[in-house]
Amino acid sequence: MRVVRCLIALVVVAGFFRFFPLFHVERLKTAAEQAATVFNAQQFAETFWTGKLLPAISSSSVKAAVLLPAIKADAAAARKKYSHGAGLGDTYFYFVSGSGRATSVSDDEVSLRVTDGGNEAEVSIQTGLIFGDALRDGTGLLNPSDFSNSQNFNDISAALDHIAESRVIPALRKQAKVGATIFFAGCAEVDDESTDLKPLKVIPIQTVLQ
Amino acid sequence: MKPPLNKFAAILALTLAALCLTPSAWADGKQKIAVVVSTMNNPWFVVLADSARDRAIELGYDATIFDSQNDTAKEAANFENLIAGGYGAVLFNPTDANGSIANVRKAKAAGVPVFCIDREINATDAATAQLLSDNYAGCVKLGQYFVKTVGQTGTYVELLGLVGDNNTWNRSKGFHSVVDRFPGLKMVAQQSGEFDRAKGLEVMESMLQAHPDINAAFCGNDAMAMGAYQALLAAGKAGQVKVFGFDGADDVLKLIAAGGIEATGMQFPKTMARQAAEFADAYLKGKRDFPQKVPVEVQLVTRDNVAKYGDFGKK
Repeated sequence: MRVVRCLIALVVVAGFFRFFPLFHVERLKTAAEQAATVFNAQQFAETFWTGKLLPAISSSSVKAAVLLPAIKADAAAARKKYSHGAGLGDTYFYFVSGSGRATSVSDDEVSLRVTDGGNEAEVSIQTGLIFGDALRDGTGLLNPSDFSNSQNFNDISAALDHIAESRVIPALRKQAKVGATIFFAGCAEVDDESTDLKPLKVIPIQTVLQ
Repeated sequence: MKPPLNKFAAILALTLAALCLTPSAWADGKQKIAVVVSTMNNPWFVVLADSARDRAIELGYDATIFDSQNDTAKEAANFENLIAGGYGAVLFNPTDANGSIANVRKAKAAGVPVFCIDREINATDAATAQLLSDNYAGCVKLGQYFVKTVGQTGTYVELLGLVGDNNTWNRSKGFHSVVDRFPGLKMVAQQSGEFDRAKGLEVMESMLQAHPDINAAFCGNDAMAMGAYQALLAAGKAGQVKVFGFDGADDVLKLIAAGGIEATGMQFPKTMARQAAEFADAYLKGKRDFPQKVPVEVQLVTRDNVAKYGDFGKK
């Protein structure tokens, strides 16, 4: 009789936990699923470059013929009106485009004289090694808050720099000859106004020989 | 039979007693803010925690510092205590980018907003906001200065911070994004010094035994840079091997001025901590729209501009 009672109790307890389990067993992520969640900065940068960055040149960049005289007149006001840059600090960026005549060409830069009406100003298009966050942060199109791991966000900088170095700059080097007129679009980082504005140093996103 | 009034009085007394035992979000009439810091065993984090606490007090709160001693279990216990203690907000320097997420979620579920300072958590839906040094950009600048001072050829070692911390890798990647472009610069050893001065000394000593002819040492924070410098002094190589740090600690600034250390990246712990306290104050007064991540600039400090810096910021 005692055995029967024990068996009934066991069945009741087993039935209870069948419907109200103490814990659930779930399958761990497979290696493929985990790999799918790994961030691919190169792929992101490629998509961003063609899908957002290049189209933004016509819609969002400030014209060099507007920006350069504005900086010359009042750097603080120009910064307030035209710059990008999230967070706390002194560094800021410009997303700028325009046309200019090449006045000098070296391994690290092509100097362009931008003329508009009576105004004349110079920009330096960078053609050496490219470092830093200007292409990532210079347009205001990417927001660090959208990336849960800042390492991914930083990897985008290196990937964008690589695209500029491997595609845009070699083409510019071929085109750039003193006297040539060149359309350019790119981003400039201003860390120290005493040096970085004289002239503005632009990392190119696009250049076209005109 | 006891009169019903006695029963009512007993229930009332029990309720009042329970209310007295329930943790209060207010202390001496002031709302409470918790400052949870990864470690108080490093002067930089002491400045970070003290600045957050002091700003919260200036804003009219009762603020307390909780030391997690670089231990995620202690950090979890700190969160349990502060939630049970009725704190209204947390200014939080996490110990682990992944391991600390659960603590932030627990606080969020309890209605306590968390503001991360200096170190991030790998989630954008848990903390109310995260104020983070731009370690990558800071180390790009350090890398450029490294190439300028060491030259385009030579050998060097790297002392990494805690390997589970995002800041460690953001600094290392920023540095290497520049230095690796110069094939003549070869890294002969890379090891964690765990952001600790004594460990940095120990690691540098063993690196010097294996590689006595290195030209430079890149250290992921100033505590390790001080340890590395101490090892170089003991080996009679101070001045021969160029040391680079990161943080902007006062003892390193003095050594930069004296020529013992080449450069560091100045983070602004006071700025970050004060801003986090101000965010918490705004939250407690009703503001809800905060940017999830706020990068805080890191500035390059060298012998040329060291006079402009001190006391964990710009003079």
